[in-house]
Amino acid sequence: MGTFLVRRILGSIPIIFGVALVVFILFNIVGGDPALMMVGKHATAQQIADIRREYGLDQPLYVQFFHYLKDIITFDFGRSYATRQKISDMILNGIGPSLSLTLPAFFITTVISVILGLLVSYFRGGIIDRVAVILCVIGMSIPSLGYILFGQYYLAYELRMFPISGYDYSFPGRFEYLVLPMILWLLLSVGYDVRFYRTAMLEETTQDYVRTARAKGLSEPRVFFKHVLKNSMVPIVTNVVLEIPLLILGSFLFETFFGIPGLGSITIDALHNSDLPVIKSMAFVMSLLLIFGNIITDIVYALVDPRVKLK
Amino acid sequence: MNEKILEVKNLETSFKLEDGVVKAVDDVSFNVYKGKTLGIVGESGCGKSVTSLSIMRLIPNPPGKISGGQIIYNGKNLLDYSPAEMRKIRGNEISMIFQEPMTSLNPVFTIGNQLIEAIELHQKLSSKECREKAIEMLKLVGIPSPATRIDDYPHQLSGGMRQRVMIAMALSCNPHVLIADEPTTALDVTIQAQILELLRELQDRVGMAMILITHDLGVVAEVCDDVMVMYAGRVVETGTVEEIFKNPKHPYTRGLLNSIPTLSKDPTGKAKKKRLETIPGIVPSLLDLPKGCRFQDRCTFVKDACRTSEPELRVIKSGEHLDHSIRCIQDI
Amino acid sequence: MSTLTTTPDSIEIGQPLPKGRSLWQLGWMRLKQDRYAIVCASIVLFYFLIALLSKLDLIASPWDMKVADSYAPPSLSEFKLWLGADIFGRSVMYKTIYGTRTAIGIGLVVTLLSIPIGVFLGAVAGYFGGWIDEIIVWFYTTLSSIPSILLLIAISYALNRGITAMYVALVSTSWIGMARVMRGEFIKHKTREYVIAADSLGASHFSKIFKHILPNVSHFIILNFSMQFMGAIKAEVILTFLGVGIQGTPSWGNMIDDAKLELARGVWWQLTGATVAMFFIILAFNILGDSLRDALDPKIK
Repeated sequence: MGTFLVRRILGSIPIIFGVALVVFILFNIVGGDPALMMVGKHATAQQIADIRREYGLDQPLYVQFFHYLKDIITFDFGRSYATRQKISDMILNGIGPSLSLTLPAFFITTVISVILGLLVSYFRGGIIDRVAVILCVIGMSIPSLGYILFGQYYLAYELRMFPISGYDYSFPGRFEYLVLPMILWLLLSVGYDVRFYRTAMLEETTQDYVRTARAKGLSEPRVFFKHVLKNSMVPIVTNVVLEIPLLILGSFLFETFFGIPGLGSITIDALHNSDLPVIKSMAFVMSLLLIFGNIITDIVYALVDPRVKLK
Repeated sequence: MNEKILEVKNLETSFKLEDGVVKAVDDVSFNVYKGKTLGIVGESGCGKSVTSLSIMRLIPNPPGKISGGQIIYNGKNLLDYSPAEMRKIRGNEISMIFQEPMTSLNPVFTIGNQLIEAIELHQKLSSKECREKAIEMLKLVGIPSPATRIDDYPHQLSGGMRQRVMIAMALSCNPHVLIADEPTTALDVTIQAQILELLRELQDRVGMAMILITHDLGVVAEVCDDVMVMYAGRVVETGTVEEIFKNPKHPYTRGLLNSIPTLSKDPTGKAKKKRLETIPGIVPSLLDLPKGCRFQDRCTFVKDACRTSEPELRVIKSGEHLDHSIRCIQDI
Repeated sequence: MSTLTTTPDSIEIGQPLPKGRSLWQLGWMRLKQDRYAIVCASIVLFYFLIALLSKLDLIASPWDMKVADSYAPPSLSEFKLWLGADIFGRSVMYKTIYGTRTAIGIGLVVTLLSIPIGVFLGAVAGYFGGWIDEIIVWFYTTLSSIPSILLLIAISYALNRGITAMYVALVSTSWIGMARVMRGEFIKHKTREYVIAADSLGASHFSKIFKHILPNVSHFIILNFSMQFMGAIKAEVILTFLGVGIQGTPSWGNMIDDAKLELARGVWWQLTGATVAMFFIILAFNILGDSLRDALDPKIK
């Protein structure tokens, strides 16, 4: 396990390097003069020169890239152009709200979807199954923004069941603001997830070991909730891995919409302010989170499938 | 002595496919006797496995369905049993081992877990006793150091070992009938012999009846008492092993016997190479059966009469407990 | 189908073999029998037709003309007023139709560019293996490690916001899925007997990749097409909503973005127009994708 982690982390170094390279190329080369983009067209020559000096843009590209790598390693991203805050502080402040929203939402959604997927596939072929599949397909075809807009308007604005937007840094207090986004998160993901888990579980029911379990005389619920469920953990984890990037997309959508001061809304604000250093840092930090998430799921794979060895 | 334990009467199992309904098993009848082994022989797709799954009532539905006949066990028709009653039969009184030892065990549970599960279900034992019984069963089927192996996962065992575990599982509740569906097909030749030997030995010890499904006539000659040859969903010849091997009467059975390679010696003592005979043609599609005898297109003795109506199964020689019958109009 | 013989005369006395059907023929046959698939394909074609007519300025043109009062509610009196008017009194119906044209355009451009890239890189990586494979895999692992929303933001930022940036951004992330699938399939297929047979006959790499293996894995392209088309439409809406997408011309994303402020005033028609239009094409693609998967699955007989 220890050696696995070391190996896996070492293995992600080329990827992290690649991410840094892509981000650097996009912002410092493809995008044209970064200084000009930040200050806008109407800046004076003096302003542009100041910016250049502050962000090291007056140096050759390879030096700039080297500095960027150094900043990454030391977790020192400099200051925001728009707010003059230290970017590392902004990230540390933003990560709490983001994780408070995304992790519980993702976890609750996954648990509920797996349970529904199990129930639906247990009643496969019947009326419950058919209705559920139809609802899933309809649910996954409704645009996610539709859910968010309508949910906020109806549940928060009309019915006043939840605050319309905002955030509270106190610990249980924040959940008052997070409940509605979480409910909407569940609604907009549950259709796709349930259908996916249903298919995965149905696939398992055609395996030979299921026949063996039935030949032993096990009851259908036992066959299903013991043998099939444990085996479908593998496709379940696979789907969870595939959906980790959705955590980030979700953080963007919900945070901007409900005024939650997380990483997503910080990035969108930075985008509107042409705050290039912040966007650049966010792209990198979120990639790191994604890579980290993938390493964790590799470990989870080994937990659910005895055939997988962490070496 | 020759006591019937299982009686299958006019069994008919059909499958609904994209292109129509096929009868994979069509009017099949046979008896299984206490302590004896019945071999069911035929090419793949002839309905052997479907017959055995029908007895267990494990035909996947849909698309499959037992559409007719009776399966009499202990004087009662299994097809009338409720699902709950049937579960008390499965694994307890009638057990089954399958063709694919590699995939028939659940990969995410230890073999002990899967064995104990079967014992727990059908026997009133404490969990400690269940585990002891499981270890005892593993020992019985020849798994070395069973007390540690019991906590292994299936992927840690070889194919032969896995099949032994399957056998241990099937026998753990002392069934009266064991159905073995090509138990050795997926294994190496040397392992095959070991597994067959094991099955025969265990059968002697516990006195159960066995149905052995195979396409290998060599296995039949070695292990079985009775033989039933199937072709395209039908029984084409039945009889005792001696009768069938000494005196095969159906052209298909003969073809099968002739396609076994043999090493015979010529008078000078040198090994003589005999050209291997084959049965020409392929099994007809069940969707598109010929009128008359189902074997007509591959039969070297075919006559016009064979093409008009399908022959009935007829007795050609009565036997002590099993008559020799064939589904052929000719006497060859 | 097992056969016990190799003698040539057996073919004559045996029954004629059932005529072989290729995966495509079989798939087409199954698809034709699938009522849902037919309905959904018709819906998709209908959207394409709307988009084409709009492109040719035959319908919903001009979209930016004032046709009613600001926020005039829907009325059945005239087609252009069916969905009411927006803040500037422009027809929401026309904007929805123009949005269809935008969406179909994005779907087409993105799939037609990203699929060939994905197929080519995936095929080459899987077929050749070695360092070529390592570089391509490194490249797409890197790209997919950057959350696509940030990559899209970064690209649209670097290229100035607008439709071109969106095309580039979507293409540069969409090809990865296709490349992954193709790489996996090529690794599986390159050791199959038929490829070895082609090899022993002296087939070139080019011919093995494109003439022999590709036709055997091409059903994945069709499946991927419907998924990516859908993905591109959804991405446009989200990107535009987040402010990095299309500006100036109507798109469903723009309309939903406007609706954010309109709902509180009870103006629901712009949101409805865009979501309903989006709902039906996504629904059609979802169902069509399933039908295609079932119809082209070689495992089902």
